[in-house]
Amino acid sequence: MKAGIILFWAITSLGVIALVTLPINLQTQLIASIAVVTFMAVIKILRAEGTWRLIALAFGTAIIMRYVYWRTTSTLPPFNQLENFIPGFLLYLAEMYSVMMLALSLFVVSMPLPPRPSRAASEGKYPSVDVFVPTYNEDAELLANTLAAAKAMDYPGDKLTVWLLDDGGTLQKRTSPNLLEDQMAKARHQELQILCGDLDVRYLTRDRNEHAKAGNLNNGMQHSKGELIAVFDADHAPTRDFLLETVGYFEDDPKLFLVQTPHFFLNPDPVERNLRTFERMPSENEMFYGIIQRGLDKWNASFFCGSAAVLRRQALDQAGGFSGVSITEDCETAIALHASGWNSVYVDRPLIAGLQPATFASFIGQRSRWAQGMMQILRFRFPLLKRGLTIPQRLCYMSSTLFWLFPFPRAIFLFAPLCYLFFDLEIFTASGGEFLGYTLAYMLVNLMMQNYLYGSFRWPWISELYEYVQTIHLLPAVVSAIINPRKPSFKVTAKDETVLVSRLSEISRPFFFIFGVLLLAVAITAYRVYTEPYKADVTLVVGGWNLLNLLLAGCALGVVSERGELTATRRVKVTRRCEFGLDEQWYPATIDNVSVNGARVNVYAKNLETLPLNKRGLIRFTPYSSGKEEILPVAVRNTQVAGDIVTVGCLYLPEAARDHSLIADLIFANSQQWTQFQMSRRGNPGLLRGTIWFLGLAFYQTSRGLIYFFTSPGARDKARTAAEAKR
Amino acid sequence: MMKSVHLALIILALQSFPLRAQAPFDMTPERPAAEEQTGNGAVSQPVVVTPTAQPGETEAFKRYLLPSGSLDLSGEFEDRAWTFYLTPQQAATGAKLNLGYQNSIFVAPEVSRLLVEINDTKIASEAVRSADTVSDLSFELPKDLLKPGSNLIRLRADQRHRTDCTIESTYQLWSNVNAERTYLSFSGSDAQRLESLDDIRAIGVDDNGLTRINFVVPALEQPSTTIPLMRLAQGLAVFADMPNQSFTFNTRGTAGKKSGELTVLVGTSAELQPLLASLPGSASSEPIAGFVADPATGSSVLAVSGPTWQAIGTAIESVVAPTDIAGPAIRRDVITTQRWRSPDAPFLYSDTRLRFSQLGFKTEEFSGRRFRTDFIIGVPADFYANGYGEAVILLDAAYSPTVLPGSHIDVYVNGNIASTVPIASSGGGILRHLPINVTMRHFRPGVNTIRIEANLETEDDKLCAPGTTGLETPRFALFDSSEFHMPDFARIAQLPNLAASAGTGFPYGRSLEPIRLYLDRIDADTLSASATFLGRLAAGAGHPIPLETVASPALIGSRSAIFIGALSQMPQSVLTQMNIAEASRTTWGSDPGGQAGTVSTEAALDAWREKLRGGVFASWITAFEDWVKRNFDISLSSLRFAPVSESSFMPSTETSLLVAQGASPDGSGTWSLVAAPTGKDLHEGMQALSTQDTWRQLAGHITTYQRGTKTVETVPINDFDFIETEPASLSNYRLIAANWLSTNILTYAVLLTALSVLLGLVTAMMLNNLGRRE
Repeated sequence: MKAGIILFWAITSLGVIALVTLPINLQTQLIASIAVVTFMAVIKILRAEGTWRLIALAFGTAIIMRYVYWRTTSTLPPFNQLENFIPGFLLYLAEMYSVMMLALSLFVVSMPLPPRPSRAASEGKYPSVDVFVPTYNEDAELLANTLAAAKAMDYPGDKLTVWLLDDGGTLQKRTSPNLLEDQMAKARHQELQILCGDLDVRYLTRDRNEHAKAGNLNNGMQHSKGELIAVFDADHAPTRDFLLETVGYFEDDPKLFLVQTPHFFLNPDPVERNLRTFERMPSENEMFYGIIQRGLDKWNASFFCGSAAVLRRQALDQAGGFSGVSITEDCETAIALHASGWNSVYVDRPLIAGLQPATFASFIGQRSRWAQGMMQILRFRFPLLKRGLTIPQRLCYMSSTLFWLFPFPRAIFLFAPLCYLFFDLEIFTASGGEFLGYTLAYMLVNLMMQNYLYGSFRWPWISELYEYVQTIHLLPAVVSAIINPRKPSFKVTAKDETVLVSRLSEISRPFFFIFGVLLLAVAITAYRVYTEPYKADVTLVVGGWNLLNLLLAGCALGVVSERGELTATRRVKVTRRCEFGLDEQWYPATIDNVSVNGARVNVYAKNLETLPLNKRGLIRFTPYSSGKEEILPVAVRNTQVAGDIVTVGCLYLPEAARDHSLIADLIFANSQQWTQFQMSRRGNPGLLRGTIWFLGLAFYQTSRGLIYFFTSPGARDKARTAAEAKR
Repeated sequence: MMKSVHLALIILALQSFPLRAQAPFDMTPERPAAEEQTGNGAVSQPVVVTPTAQPGETEAFKRYLLPSGSLDLSGEFEDRAWTFYLTPQQAATGAKLNLGYQNSIFVAPEVSRLLVEINDTKIASEAVRSADTVSDLSFELPKDLLKPGSNLIRLRADQRHRTDCTIESTYQLWSNVNAERTYLSFSGSDAQRLESLDDIRAIGVDDNGLTRINFVVPALEQPSTTIPLMRLAQGLAVFADMPNQSFTFNTRGTAGKKSGELTVLVGTSAELQPLLASLPGSASSEPIAGFVADPATGSSVLAVSGPTWQAIGTAIESVVAPTDIAGPAIRRDVITTQRWRSPDAPFLYSDTRLRFSQLGFKTEEFSGRRFRTDFIIGVPADFYANGYGEAVILLDAAYSPTVLPGSHIDVYVNGNIASTVPIASSGGGILRHLPINVTMRHFRPGVNTIRIEANLETEDDKLCAPGTTGLETPRFALFDSSEFHMPDFARIAQLPNLAASAGTGFPYGRSLEPIRLYLDRIDADTLSASATFLGRLAAGAGHPIPLETVASPALIGSRSAIFIGALSQMPQSVLTQMNIAEASRTTWGSDPGGQAGTVSTEAALDAWREKLRGGVFASWITAFEDWVKRNFDISLSSLRFAPVSESSFMPSTETSLLVAQGASPDGSGTWSLVAAPTGKDLHEGMQALSTQDTWRQLAGHITTYQRGTKTVETVPINDFDFIETEPASLSNYRLIAANWLSTNILTYAVLLTALSVLLGLVTAMMLNNLGRRE
């Protein structure tokens, strides 16, 4: 049956291939393009799903294959014109890479698995779980929240052990010849031991910092014996239902090694923060966790993302623990286990909340690690030829790893139009009509397919923007990882930075340079259209392409212009009844929003006046974990009186370890709120509206970037010195 | 004396024939009408008909040279080469070359030259200075220059404008080489004599570029003579292979020998004796075929005779056999064109690369502003790549720094623009194998002309200081290392397709079994027309086509056949198969007045459309339609799913000849029809149609000739059958599909859509069965 269907599919595909590789003339191509684009648009406008989705994708595929055929057979510059051929061929390769990636992602996401139903309600056995929280340099307060939240997870207490795996207080660090490091490590060692003692969490450190995070986790495994292992990054605080939602799957499938859940972030990444899209537009990683992981899950290829996941000890033991060859130990471990026949499951429900890098520089640092790690996997564990993986798994892993080669095509697309505009090279031979019939149709179809596949997870042009802002600094990183795959080492991404003063990022200079070059190219376009009217058509097409690059580059100027923020941490909207205590008197109140540092409380009080700064107050509420009322001490920071309602902004004053648990309960306990927040910004603006919105954004961000550039050269220097000092 | 009066009369009669209509590649529309008249005026003076004429019987024999009548060498550079055939006697006799020409008043004589080469020996390089009248150049040819057999002659003009430096001005430059006054003159009567059968090739042309073969057959009306006569006619046509040859049949009388004419007497010795006193006596006992001097006129006539018609058949075979060596089974490497264009056109069947040097082009450096050169190639009758195909010219060329961007190189196929390559960079450049895609849309079976034209703009030309036009610094060079690359193309024949018949005699030329020939009556006119038509087909096919007659149309069945005669006499099935209206049997040619009132629906509709182009919205739509048509060559009518069915054809009253083609009733054979209202129309119409320029226009499903306007109209092929000509192969089917879908555009879109939908459904089915599906 299955073989029959695959055969039928293969025959149909051959038919399509035979049809699209006919050397038909331009007129036929034009009409076919118009027909297909129209059909696709109609299907898209009707928002038809299910089988229609695949039909729309098949339409797109047909046009893309026609483009590939044409591009391959008729547009390459002649070989004997090397000056044109070499850049032309590079451009061709870049395009073919993009097409290949599209094909792989079509394979992955053409029919993603629908979200699984919640497991929380089902009763079952409770296997023993070790929770690992590896840390390197995060401060105690952050760890306290995470550990408290982990400890508060709804699970039989005797089956749950939380471990803080501290790599910042190892013997190696504590006996470092560097006096400063030595002293800090000793202090950290002591402080965290106390914290763990307070929170009833096991503290573990080791002698030497070997194999970075993977080594740290393996060390944790050696000292524990739980059946399952849950891993949370130091800043990833789980919700109460985390284990209930995940552990059950291990019982269903004895060959299951992994249940991965999405990473949900409380704070915006620098792009979102600087473009102010965090509240309105789905985050960058939602495309990955919202749809790609589900697609991978269909093919049993959902992989470990380093945190927010539960793994089976037996499986890890069999594979010799966490792999540490690459600096992305998570994906590497998953490949090894998939290859030895273990399965994975992805649960599409945010069950942790974490932080992501706040500054552009640390964002780039994090991405460089991922990109370099994936290059190492490509080099050392080449998934396509990896024994033991099924064919779909191989394709899925190829898709995930090859994705990180994007800096190459992105750079080529950026510079290709300049070859013509500056040096008069003709690297793409096509007439205006052909451009219309093939290239334009291809681009339209490409955009429509992207929108169809990822529409509510990724708005138009945002992928391009993210790729562009990363390319500039990722390209050298990827190149170095390819040339010297053993060189990259694990660097912990800093996530606790804040930008208090608006300034340019310390690595923003190349963006302004590129913007200048592209702007010059626009001027040259205009000049050449005027002086060389006989090839104005080509110049306009190439100039249009360059203009698109300029829009992206302009928008990127906004990305690297870091906005200063007053609040250090993100507030989370909660609505929770409580009582507010002042001077021995309790007022009825609701908690309006919370952050890791403080809360905002609406207090019902008729006779309350503006409160003095730092006045001590108390919040009395019922945490989800215990079911009985508890009290959290706070300090008042500001008050606003509006009739009978007084809004009080207050800062937590955690005195005991229990207070951290209360804070964690306020913020992290409820997984529903993360889902709701994600849903609130998941909407597909559509191709046209999205494009118009992006245009507006690009214009505004360009001007903001330029204003930062011209008004704050001093700030830029200060930022650099500050960053250096910090390092 | 009688003779010279006769000659003069013929010349006078020819004067009414427009000379310029015969000139090939006429690209000089700007030529003022007044000049044309002066040109012709000069020609018309009977006094100068024979400027080198010797009084009395020692008059020199003139071998006219221009194969298609007067020749225009136009533009700044033109080069023409062809061959002419000489008998051994002619080659042995000393000859003089006479060349009469007149040039445009705009040609600057100081910097313009006319070159003549024979057998690669330069004969003359003269300043072009004959603007007022036709002037003659006369050259004594070196003794051993001419050879028996083919001799190559090359005329080349380098012309520059007197004052104007624009590209447009180059269209005002021309030199008209006068056919009547361009000849070799041989002293002595030996030159005129034809002896061996090979000398048939030496018929040459008359002073108008025409070749006539006059049959004198006393017994032509006997049905049994038709097939042998047609075979002989075809054999002679292949033998002579001149561009404009036609046949006439008579029962008696031999005209005086003239250049470009051959008289052929066919009959039993008894029949011929009264006509030809010098017929060898052996003719009464055995078959003979050979040249005999006619004592009455003193010229050589070809006598084919014998005691009986059976013997004559043998005699005919001895003439025709040498032309029938290359039968249908042998694939030709070239199409013989050298009598009007040298070298012969290479015949391309599949992927081929040809260097320009193989195509007769020599590296050329050029200092003017519009450079032109052309070459010819042949494609087979089953060429089926008009829809999608592209050939590639890999151009090796160079241009100097003075050439400004905005200059361009154009490629034309059979006079239609096929590609434009802009020269986009300044500062000079060398193009090394620059690929130029040339659409094969205008290719047709048979010989195709591909012209490369470089339009060069320079700063000097913009200023145009005095003397600029004559500057000799080269600006452009085209190297003979350039290549023409013909890719593999779809090969399948279409039925009907008159262009294929005209180009290579297809499908009759490939037939191994005899083609049935049906003539509605056997008389001089019908035979003349038949011989001319069949001679044309045979020349295209390269060998005579086997024929057989049928007594009654009912016996034709479904085999391939050719029908020649009056339309009214044609069997009904012929008209049905050709989709010709039954009514045209009676209306065509009967009463022109009666038809005048009827208005063509299409013309009327167009006129109404034109009238009603008022509305804003409608005008937008028309403007959009025009834009699409202009830029992408897509019109509403080209948006079709499949060929539309033929509508019934009715010849207009102006039509004097009709050629049509269709499948035989069961589709296994090809039927062709040549019809006219009267026998005279048939003969004259066919004669007019057989001239090279007109014959080349034969195409489509029906072609008509209008005597009044001397124009040809074609009814395009809509509905046709494929005829497989090649062994089945996937790659050929793929190309055939590409061409069919490129002409039936919507079908492709529908197929692509349907297959995509299917793929989507199957993929959905597959994905529902593979991987996890919770």
